Amino acid sequence: MAEQGKFWRAVVYGSLLIAAVYYLLPLYVMLTTSVKSMEEIRAGNLLSLPLDITFAAWSKAWSTACTGVECTGLQPYFWNSVAMVVPAVAISTALGAVNGYVLSKWQFRGSEVVFAMILFGVFIPFQVLLLPMAQTLGLFGMANSITGLVFVHVVCGLASTTLFFRNYYVGIPDELIKAARLDGAGFWRIFFRIILPMSTPILTVTVIWQFTQIWNDFLFGVVFSSIDSRPITVGLNNLANTSTSVKEYNVDMAAALIAALPTIVVYVLAGKYFVRGLTAGAVKG
Amino acid sequence: MGALAIKNVTKSFGDTDILKGINIDIDAGQFLILVGPSGCGKSTLMNIIAGLEGPTSGEVHIGDRVVNNVAPKDRDIAMVFQSYALYPTMNVRQNIAFGLETRKVPKAEQDEIIARVAKMLQIEHLLGRKPSELSGGQRQRVAMGRALARNPKLFLFDEPLSNLDAKLRVEMRAEIKQLHQRLKTTIVYVTHDQIEAMTLGDRIAVMKDGVIQQFGSPQEIYDSPANLFVAGFIGSPSMNFIPCHIAEQGGVLGVALQGEGEPVFFALPERLNVQGRVGQAVILGLRPEQFDQADAGGVACRIRITEPTGPDTMLLSQLNGRDIIARVHPRHAPAAGELCSLVPDLRKAVLFDPETQTRIG
Ligand SMILES: Nc1ncnc2c1ncn2[C@@H]1O[C@H](COP(=O)(O)OP(=O)(O)O)[C@@H](O)[C@H]1O
Ligand SMILES: [Mg+2]
Repeated sequence: MAEQGKFWRAVVYGSLLIAAVYYLLPLYVMLTTSVKSMEEIRAGNLLSLPLDITFAAWSKAWSTACTGVECTGLQPYFWNSVAMVVPAVAISTALGAVNGYVLSKWQFRGSEVVFAMILFGVFIPFQVLLLPMAQTLGLFGMANSITGLVFVHVVCGLASTTLFFRNYYVGIPDELIKAARLDGAGFWRIFFRIILPMSTPILTVTVIWQFTQIWNDFLFGVVFSSIDSRPITVGLNNLANTSTSVKEYNVDMAAALIAALPTIVVYVLAGKYFVRGLTAGAVKG
Repeated sequence: MGALAIKNVTKSFGDTDILKGINIDIDAGQFLILVGPSGCGKSTLMNIIAGLEGPTSGEVHIGDRVVNNVAPKDRDIAMVFQSYALYPTMNVRQNIAFGLETRKVPKAEQDEIIARVAKMLQIEHLLGRKPSELSGGQRQRVAMGRALARNPKLFLFDEPLSNLDAKLRVEMRAEIKQLHQRLKTTIVYVTHDQIEAMTLGDRIAVMKDGVIQQFGSPQEIYDSPANLFVAGFIGSPSMNFIPCHIAEQGGVLGVALQGEGEPVFFALPERLNVQGRVGQAVILGLRPEQFDQADAGGVACRIRITEPTGPDTMLLSQLNGRDIIARVHPRHAPAAGELCSLVPDLRKAVLFDPETQTRIG
């Protein structure tokens, strides 16, 4: 029995190891390539460890690499993305929380229909929105600006954030709201004093989700931005596609890592809460 | 003085009529029980009294005003919920203080109230704890504390004990009764447990399917149930329902009961007014304690099962082809399978019309 158990355990861990290597290998190649010099890349092989670690490629990717005609590195794109992501995540999460609160705890005539329509929004492919959205942005005078991108991401994220919060709040007993109403609290006081303090898990999930979605978005970024409002995904694309005499793999890899870094950091810092939030039901009384 | 009056209240959700014309009137200081099976509309009625939902039609009076258009917080009521509904992220002190803060009670006064309530319910040592760190009984106390802090004119309890285990339930029941005797506040108390209803209430409203079946004192409801439903719902074990025909024997009106052997005739008390019903089918209602064991004058019954409870023993048998339960003293209780002579005490018997199911005497 014990022998057999060991065998199967070895099989399980073996397969997990293979899967892990399969997923980690690209990251390994990116990391090592990004700290190699071009000579070493040309000479060596893809999987070899760097002999002589240099951050020249990182530095170039950040501040001097060319992305089309200008050669400013990813730096301005990075800050554009930050300026877009922070308000977009904050607004879409806040609105989603209030929507979810209303749709679960202050239902009105037709609120189920509203919810069904919002749910529908989750499944709309964003490509079909491009044209009407462009017109809307033009109408509001927000075309080609970071404000416009924030608006687009808030609108498109609202369906998911509302769904997240609504489903979480449905699990909170209605009697809690009734008790608070008898205690004299109104809509906002109940929200801020009772509901919001119970929302940490779902807030974490939503913030991570929205951050990843918006930071990694390419479609809206490339369509609705102009030269000085482009997010990092567009910057990365331009950097990698700018034809230089030699293909600088180390700079491309460093640039890709810079673009991916914030989402990785968010997962490392809050990933624990993410898993917990996804699995946890509502807080029990 | 009237403390609470409910006048012709109805409630429909869409096409479903949940409450079908409720009328209740109680005096200040009374303990009203709303009792009925699950889903009969007790919580709905409670929510209407509290103002958490509006009635479809009808009026709710609290004290001397109509409160239909008064917000819950301004009705001078407090409510204890079945799930306790304690705010999970606040500790016990904050839970009690929340309503006081909302009402802008000065801080010093808040502390005073919390101290008084905590002392009364013996939860002083729990004030710093979160609800998740409390046992069921402790949560129950905190929920009551939160209601008491308000010092309301009317207390509403919606099945407050149904989440507690049996022993704790009996303890808390006694405490609630004591609290009521001390505070003399009017209480409306919802339960589906008929023992709670009998032990706590001054007035009981028995509900079924959104209709009040009977409204009266516990003893009235026990002794003179308005219909078969009330008779079967209140009392444990339930009242026995024995189908009979009114017969006349030697100028006396009565019914024949048959166990094992020949039917035996028993005279009905005059109180039941069955003149003119000779030959009619009726249902005789006899509570389990209205049987005696005697050697003479009884009807022979084959005992199928005995259930000793300690102070009494329940005998399961049959009369007129219907299962019955008799509650007898354990000392003389027969064993299962034995024959036994049961004497029904018809002085407190009730009769029901099998068609309308209402009491005829
Ligand atoms: N908001 C609502 N919408 C539709 N039906 C409801 C609603 N609230 C309660 N009901 C229905 O009303 C009936 C009575 O419910 P309730 O008053 O909670 O019963 P009880 O408290 O006696 O168990 C139930 O059948 C329930 O499904
Ligand atoms: Mg209920």
